[in-house]
Amino acid sequence: MRGVLVKDLYIAKSNILVTLVSLIVLGFGLSFLLEPSALLVLAPVASTTAVFISITSDAASRWNKNVITMPVSRSQIIGEKYVFYILLAILGMGTALIPCVILALLGVNVTLHALCLYGSIGMSATLLAGGISLPCAYVFDPEKSQIVFMMSFMASTGIIAGLVLLINLFIPVKHHILSVFHIVLLISVFWFILSYRIAAEIYQKQDIT
Amino acid sequence: MNNALKISGLTKTYKDFMLDHVSFAVPCGSIVGLIGENGAGKSTTINAALGLIQKESGVVSILKRESLDQDIKEQIGVVFDGSNYPEILSPRKLNRVMKNIYQSWDEQTYISLLQQFSLPPDKHIKQFSKGMKMKLAISAALSHHSKLLILDEATSGLDPVVRDDILDMLLDFVQDEEHSILVSSHITSDLEKIADYIVFIHAGKVIFSRPKDELIEQYGILKCGAAQFDALDRSDIIVYRKLDYEWQVLISDREKLQRKYPKALIVPATIDEIMLLYVKGEK
Repeated sequence: MRGVLVKDLYIAKSNILVTLVSLIVLGFGLSFLLEPSALLVLAPVASTTAVFISITSDAASRWNKNVITMPVSRSQIIGEKYVFYILLAILGMGTALIPCVILALLGVNVTLHALCLYGSIGMSATLLAGGISLPCAYVFDPEKSQIVFMMSFMASTGIIAGLVLLINLFIPVKHHILSVFHIVLLISVFWFILSYRIAAEIYQKQDIT
Repeated sequence: MNNALKISGLTKTYKDFMLDHVSFAVPCGSIVGLIGENGAGKSTTINAALGLIQKESGVVSILKRESLDQDIKEQIGVVFDGSNYPEILSPRKLNRVMKNIYQSWDEQTYISLLQQFSLPPDKHIKQFSKGMKMKLAISAALSHHSKLLILDEATSGLDPVVRDDILDMLLDFVQDEEHSILVSSHITSDLEKIADYIVFIHAGKVIFSRPKDELIEQYGILKCGAAQFDALDRSDIIVYRKLDYEWQVLISDREKLQRKYPKALIVPATIDEIMLLYVKGEK
């Protein structure tokens, strides 16, 4: 799996660098308008676009056909994309924290509560969106999967809103906002793992020509 | 005889095509050429053997194992038409990818093959010509101590000089008796040069699987007129084709039939002609 991950890092290197630098610049820029920690909502989502660049590149070069003949199992091929996705999300999150920490050191008000809240929202949206779009990338052709990729982010915000309303029936959101979004994050993690299982199952039976 | 690859009763059905109980073997230390027209089932056979597509029935045994696990995949080198490597990579970056995929990756062998083929290590694959991409794919396939090399239309679209380089490389590879090659191609002249056995697939079925020398030295084409054709013993005819001015009859033992029909014009048959007669002829 490591070799496939190295390949994806080579493919997406420039895109990852541009995204990370943009996040840092945006972090400082946003601090004049919003709380700098709000960047944590956007950062993991924005940084995962590199996964779809690698998926498109794989399809264009017919790498998927080649890699199956190598000592890498089909579930490892799928697993690598999920690992790559998570790594990029964490990297995005880590990068977004850089301006937050620097601004906090310069005296701007950045609270741990806000960081946890926006971090949970951003990571939940990323995991829910990835859980929808990653399996689709192996079912649909690259053009359709790009559309699904974009729509999955819109869908994830809807799902988060739905989940919050549902949890609100049992735990009042106004008083336990952080706990509620942590529950949403847990559900998103569960969905992402389930999505991996589904994608691996689909890919196991797929003819690759 | 030990077989590096043995395919028995391989079947796969599509809406408009069926791979019908395909069976043949690649003996250790030999080169087997898989021939057939476009759409005959060569790539489907290779894809099914490599587990790229799900087979409906049949058994594929590679290096004496029926399950295509990672140990076996370490020992197989596969080259498809086109390089099938991300074009943003360079041969040097590909080396870093491959050494993290193959436990048996031999960096020294890979680098010496790049030098032998004059492939620039830091140039992006997208800037390579088709011949260079193919040489790179073969270099990668030979750099993890493969015992079985499978090439699917790997020489198609290449100029004769590059094809000749590649054929030399393949001949070198089988100098080791543990090494074997299955090569599918519709360029039969290449296979005439290097193959030990020829497997001919037509419309999803194996028509014959024979030693190449037997085909070249014993098969022939009997050329005759209508009267002479009518006088032929039907059991001597494999297939025949009626052209404007003559009948062409494929026969399996030209010396024997020359004695039997001393007045007949019998000429040696090339693999191309044998293939053509099977595809376009009648029984």
